[in-house]
Amino acid sequence: MKTRANRGMRLLWYGALSVAAIPFVFPTWWMATSSLKPVSEIFAFPPSLLPQSPRLDAYERVFQLQPFAQQYFNSMYIAILVTIGTLAVSSLAGYAFARIRFRGQNVLFVVVMMGLLIPSEVTIVPLFQMFNGFGMVDTHWPLILVPIFGASSVLATLIMRQFFITLPVELEEAGRIDGLGRFALYWRIGLPLAKPALAAVAIVTFLNSWNLYLEPIVFLSTPENFTVPQALTHFTDAYGGPLWDVQLAAASITALPVLLVFVIAQRHFVEGLANTGLKG
Amino acid sequence: MTTRTRNRLAAAGLAGVLALSACGGGGDDDGPVDLRMTIWTANDAHLELFNEIADAYIADNPGVASITFDPLPFEKYTSTLTTQIAGDNAPDMAWILENAAPDFVSSGALVPLTEKLGGTEGYDLDDLEPATTALWEADGELYAYPFSTSPFGVFVNNDLLTDAGQPTAAELRESGDWNWERVIEAAAAVNDSTGKAGLVVRDFDYTGWDNLSTMWAGWGAQAWSDDGTTCGFDQPAMVEAMTFLHEAIFEQSALPGPGSTADFFAGDSAFTITQISRASLLEEDGFDWDLAPLPAGPQGEYSVIGQAGLGVLKLSKHQEEAADFVAFMTNPENSAKLAQFFPPPRASQLTAETLGQTNPLLSPEQLQSVVIDGIATGIVKPSHLGQAEISETVRAQLDSLWTADADVAGVMSQVCQAIQPLLD
Amino acid sequence: MSRLREQPTTAGRARRWWTARRRDQLAGYLFITPQILGTALFVIAPLVMVAWYSLHEWNVLAGSFEFVGDANYRQLLDDPGLPGVLAATGVFSLGLVVLNLSLALWLAIMLNRRFAGTTVFRTVFFSPVVVSLVAWTIVWGFLLQNDGGINGLLSVIGVDGPNWLRGEATAMGAVVVVQVFKNVGLNMVLFLAALQGVPRELYEAASIDGASPWRQFRRITVPLISPTILLTSIITIVGSLQVFAQIDVLTQGGPGTSTTVLVYYLYQQAFDFHHFGYGSTLAMLLFVIVLVLTIIQWRMRRRWVFHEN
Repeated sequence: MKTRANRGMRLLWYGALSVAAIPFVFPTWWMATSSLKPVSEIFAFPPSLLPQSPRLDAYERVFQLQPFAQQYFNSMYIAILVTIGTLAVSSLAGYAFARIRFRGQNVLFVVVMMGLLIPSEVTIVPLFQMFNGFGMVDTHWPLILVPIFGASSVLATLIMRQFFITLPVELEEAGRIDGLGRFALYWRIGLPLAKPALAAVAIVTFLNSWNLYLEPIVFLSTPENFTVPQALTHFTDAYGGPLWDVQLAAASITALPVLLVFVIAQRHFVEGLANTGLKG
Repeated sequence: MTTRTRNRLAAAGLAGVLALSACGGGGDDDGPVDLRMTIWTANDAHLELFNEIADAYIADNPGVASITFDPLPFEKYTSTLTTQIAGDNAPDMAWILENAAPDFVSSGALVPLTEKLGGTEGYDLDDLEPATTALWEADGELYAYPFSTSPFGVFVNNDLLTDAGQPTAAELRESGDWNWERVIEAAAAVNDSTGKAGLVVRDFDYTGWDNLSTMWAGWGAQAWSDDGTTCGFDQPAMVEAMTFLHEAIFEQSALPGPGSTADFFAGDSAFTITQISRASLLEEDGFDWDLAPLPAGPQGEYSVIGQAGLGVLKLSKHQEEAADFVAFMTNPENSAKLAQFFPPPRASQLTAETLGQTNPLLSPEQLQSVVIDGIATGIVKPSHLGQAEISETVRAQLDSLWTADADVAGVMSQVCQAIQPLLD
Repeated sequence: MSRLREQPTTAGRARRWWTARRRDQLAGYLFITPQILGTALFVIAPLVMVAWYSLHEWNVLAGSFEFVGDANYRQLLDDPGLPGVLAATGVFSLGLVVLNLSLALWLAIMLNRRFAGTTVFRTVFFSPVVVSLVAWTIVWGFLLQNDGGINGLLSVIGVDGPNWLRGEATAMGAVVVVQVFKNVGLNMVLFLAALQGVPRELYEAASIDGASPWRQFRRITVPLISPTILLTSIITIVGSLQVFAQIDVLTQGGPGTSTTVLVYYLYQQAFDFHHFGYGSTLAMLLFVIVLVLTIIQWRMRRRWVFHEN
């Protein structure tokens, strides 16, 4: 009796989740298969689920039309630098705001949190002028420095602070008795315990940098310096008309390796994040 | 105060200082200078030709160390260029789209070029076709060189027409049936019998409405009066043209509806209206195609051209050098080289022979009827001071026209109500 | 440890001034220095400059920059387009937050059990998060066309789908849903993490008391994961007010102006129409809106967030 109810529950569970999964899986499937189709088949109605005669033309042209490998590398190394930098800046600040009492703390926290409230579209013109003054236009510096120190690291600081607040004080007491200084407490006790929060920050930061769209368009002008999202909208013929198959091939190249890495590493990625818990 | 100091101060966050002088000054650096030109093509063949011309120039002009061609995405071209200007990073030279011409010419952002070009030996400024320079002149001064003057024509897929039992483009023209009424009928027949699209107005896609001027000009309609002060959308000619188009889309299915995509060059439509420079997209495709002038409208035959200008920005620190390079890049010899991609504005080069050498895909007859006649008599696509805002306002209003049960006259008068304040 | 031995050697008086507390304060300041300097340079300074621009008429092309006082702010009050823009912004943000949070919570609850396949489903729902936003949006742009993949799928089951991105009613919904699918996985994982922290015994006790699942959800789950709900809702609301690439790729603000949200309008005014002064004024408006919303949320946390002192 009970087992039957359980099995029914389980079937319902699989059914509901499978239906819910369609809009998450279908676009990626469609993108990958369509990139193997000629343009006329991409727009065929109703769409074919598999390419009638798969071809790799579009993939070759991705690399002919733009220095796409270089652009891929740009996006990757910028995102990695931004992630490391943000982890350092935000874990320090988050720790201080959560665990250390100092004068003006609340005011300073509010000031920092202002960064959360300011979309980059708002400040892009003054930032452009600023970096132009530094001679850093058409370099990757603005895309690295602004996320690490500016508005987008504020969210990371908030996440870190929220995490450190919930850390029991007793955990640090032992270290304190051993005479550890603040930095040692942060480095040896705080950070190791904060792994889940650091993972969350790392993921969010990496993806934010990886997805940056407006800033590269404004700051970068040489194709060799482009980042991937910017390059994706650049697969056009000489007159600005989109090359749909090449665009989809480039989008697939962008998405699939990252997805693959994610699927392989997801146990550490999602499960690690979920099971150890960012509890509050 | 020099630009550099100002930037340093701005960088330090001293915003007030910035306000004192929003425009950059002309620098007077000694030694070879670096020039930068923004363009919207990222095509390798185009860039190769530009660099070849630039290298030839640098070889003879030690005052210039390098010339960079900086491709910006076409879709965001004007706004990216403006951002660079606002951010004090203006290029020395820029291509300018025809729809931004009034803004750039009248604001004083460009350096006058008449004296420079006219004074360059062997340049022959008078050779420029007057129809091509009109947009780039103010008070008798030329502010940009009409760099790419490309007429709109109709590419035809004769295979699809034959499949649908319709006469080919050449047959239609021979029998005197090359008019909108008949072309739409053929397009509808193609859609009906083959399921492929009939006519595609390329780049229109139910947002780029200025491309529709290639159609409504045949009705004698215009977006606004020649002096730019009176809205033309609610005039009888325009309402008639748009009613015709609306029926062609929603009753005859001669054009794919909103949200449907069909690419002529992939063989998915019978006709497409586009600039003739797109002929290069045809090379590898195996269908029987033709190029014809725009079909006649109720007001007879007409032609429409798109343009780009090449100008020197006042914010450039090396105006003199930049203007000199523009004079070199567009002299008769280089203009002939550029003609393979960009139809030249020079009367002497607008011959079927010259153009034929560099456009092997097109026949002399096609070049004569579409390109040469088109450039001489062409109406330029609509442009106005504050074009971007007007364009966006018209786009938003026209959206309600693209449904099957729209009230055409009503929508057109709403368009005028919305843009009249922007025209004054 | 070496510090411990060094300390007694410092002079008595200096030692009294240089207390552990002061040393801790100094550490606090040092820890936040990078963040504070970054905020000053990349957030506050540009914001001050934007405020300054908003008092000017700035014609970029002509190179003119004139002080006009509150003219831009008066234009803001008279702007006939603005009410529609604010309405679209509100609809987008509200729709996104409600859909995103409820779907994320539902998925998290569904996946917070040990069935075979849980891992697969978690991966599936999280996967769009790692796909580049522009790539994701471009693909959805294709799929949502009148003769695109979505309507193709619907036609298989006999439904004649609407022209999603072209209808006033459906365009906004489509943009919201595309964005929800893109990012819901992130909130799902954050909720999963929070759910793991809710002791099972609480549910068992409640079951014995005969509490319904809904009541357990209301009385146990929601209060215990409330800090996470607060965090995710702040992230999602702030993110929703900054939506740009999606609108730009999918609808360009249309049809009509039905998907012209504030950030998009701001971008148009400043970068497309070259009204940098008025664009800056809109930026200030956006800033004030986000500020007010965040203050409200932060205040409200005392009422319903369960554990944070």
